[in-house]
Amino acid sequence: MSKHNMSDTLTWLKSAPGLSIVISIVVAVAATIDAGPYLMVNMVVTGGMLALVATGLTLMLGVLNIPMFAHGEYFMIGSLTAYYIFTPISEFILEHPDSWLVTFGPFIAIIGALIGGAIAGVISEKLIFGPLRRRSTDNWVMNSFLLTVGVSVLLVNLHQLIFGADFKGIVGYWQGMPISIAGAYISLDRALAFIISAVIVALFYLFMTYTRTGMAIRAVSQDITGAEIVGIDIEKIVMLTISLACALAAVAGGSLLFMYPSYPTVGLEPLYMAWFVVILSGLGNILGAVAGAFMVALLKVITMEYVGAGWDFVVPSALIMLILIFKPSGIFGSDVRGVLDK
Amino acid sequence: MDTTTNDLNMNLFDRVLDKLCLTPIGLAGLILLLILPFIPPFNQEYMLRWLIYCGFVAAMSVGFDFTAGYINIVNFGYMAVAGTGGYTSALLVINAGLSPWIAMLAGGVSSAILGLIIGMISLRLRGIFAACLSWFFGLAVMGLATKMVWLTRGPLGLRTPRLFETESNFPFYFLIIILVYLTYLICKWVVRTKMGLAFQAIAQNMDAARTSGINPVFYRVFNFTMSCAIAGVLGGFYAHFYGILTPDMMHTSKTVEILAVAYIGGRGSLWGGAVVAFPFIFLMEIVRSTLSHLPGLNLVIYALVLILVMIYYPGGFSYFYDTHIRQPKNRVLRYFLNGREAKA
Repeated sequence: MSKHNMSDTLTWLKSAPGLSIVISIVVAVAATIDAGPYLMVNMVVTGGMLALVATGLTLMLGVLNIPMFAHGEYFMIGSLTAYYIFTPISEFILEHPDSWLVTFGPFIAIIGALIGGAIAGVISEKLIFGPLRRRSTDNWVMNSFLLTVGVSVLLVNLHQLIFGADFKGIVGYWQGMPISIAGAYISLDRALAFIISAVIVALFYLFMTYTRTGMAIRAVSQDITGAEIVGIDIEKIVMLTISLACALAAVAGGSLLFMYPSYPTVGLEPLYMAWFVVILSGLGNILGAVAGAFMVALLKVITMEYVGAGWDFVVPSALIMLILIFKPSGIFGSDVRGVLDK
Repeated sequence: MDTTTNDLNMNLFDRVLDKLCLTPIGLAGLILLLILPFIPPFNQEYMLRWLIYCGFVAAMSVGFDFTAGYINIVNFGYMAVAGTGGYTSALLVINAGLSPWIAMLAGGVSSAILGLIIGMISLRLRGIFAACLSWFFGLAVMGLATKMVWLTRGPLGLRTPRLFETESNFPFYFLIIILVYLTYLICKWVVRTKMGLAFQAIAQNMDAARTSGINPVFYRVFNFTMSCAIAGVLGGFYAHFYGILTPDMMHTSKTVEILAVAYIGGRGSLWGGAVVAFPFIFLMEIVRSTLSHLPGLNLVIYALVLILVMIYYPGGFSYFYDTHIRQPKNRVLRYFLNGREAKA
């Protein structure tokens, strides 16, 4: 029995997912020993945020076949909402340092970001994706991609037009001593941001796996006609998926407001990174996206540490291009057909 | 603007027009563009500057459409490719003392090599994957240009000598109009041959195309290389016109600008983007400069137009032209719009 398990594990280790996960863990540990534990902390916080954004992106791709270019803008909407909710709260806290808002105010802001993202998602489905879906005849993937490019430009510039181009940030959500883990000091904000993203990703995974609605979403992603035959309301599922995906990005924006102040193009970096994750892990694979998020975060953190700031687009994108060349379907991916394969 | 006919009844004028891939209205438009800088509101230097930018976007959108409209792959790093050409050209002029004219062509060659590489490595990918790959490639190239400060001076910008030793924008304007037309002409010539059919066959159904004996590898790589070479030469023009080159030029948002114009003009038409670019970009520049207290308004309009076109009129301007304007009852007007048609 145990021998059988061993050989299974060995086969998994030799496969692309196993190999890449093992290599990333080894690299992460080695780098942590070499440079210090803060590297691991940075990786975990960035990875948690990326996991949220990338899961939303994966969801959109898997269920609706929309390669979202505007996903970073929902991140921006989230951080903007959180900023405008949290600013009055923090003023109130300054006057009443003992109120319950000191602990729970940030949560209100983050939940507000979540709701704001969901509403933005519903609006964009009603105004933009719905009409395109009803009118589109062919080439849906490319058309919807270009449409989201337009949405992205629109939202970025609406932000600039209405709220201005300055940085709208906060000093921090929670005051208090940083937590010390193995010699690395982690501020309360970072720790809680990671915990929030972990909880949300876990909840999301449970929702997709065990609830009827989650199963319906997965059914639609596998076969839209089949799902319709068994009586799933496609319109409802589509609406739910878009609002979920946008809410995931927005909550990442909201909970990271202390790291990324809100300004028009704040969403670009999470967007690029999330696309790296999605391409790396293969389209439409949620667990893969979570693993990929930490790999990309590791890549980014290591590049910043050993090559220098500013190279964090060059090295990951070069590596991901290599992966695309040799394994077009991504590490955890489903199959993609190319020109050369017969 | 094309009528591929081999009718013996055509007179010399029509035959020349046909070889030049123009219709009478196209010729009229070209002449209008050439005399535009002498007509009063447009003869001011700042207006000319805008018009030159319009011309640049027009030429880029033709080159972009050559890939996007014919083999149906969106080259999302198009401005990065152009930027590579621009930087190569600028560095050759500065460090090797080459004349900007030769350096521009060298920039085209370097971009062609880049296009060859992108074309080769994106062979296994289709649709959105190929777009992503070229996008990441563009990001990587932009990152390199930003970080190789010893060579490119990074975000500080590289000062480049201009093509003409004059403060005036006039010669640049005529040059860009010629470049727009040349780009269109070269692309159109290629598309008119058997190759154009092969491109479209690959775009529509790869397997069917392969069954009929078309080798997709050659055609895709050729298409990519050619459109990137065009971008490289235009990038060289950009570098030697503005006189300063920053990595910002390679940004994805610039590619989006080209892409929007190409799609509003109508994909697969080549001329659509070039025609739309002039009024559209010009209007955007006017909005930007007159309503400067509302920054970003021009891009909001831009995005709205792109979204509306994508949803409600995916054919773009060229489709509108073909269905509503092209076939009037009046014979003279018809000749004017279509050129001499083959007798049925």
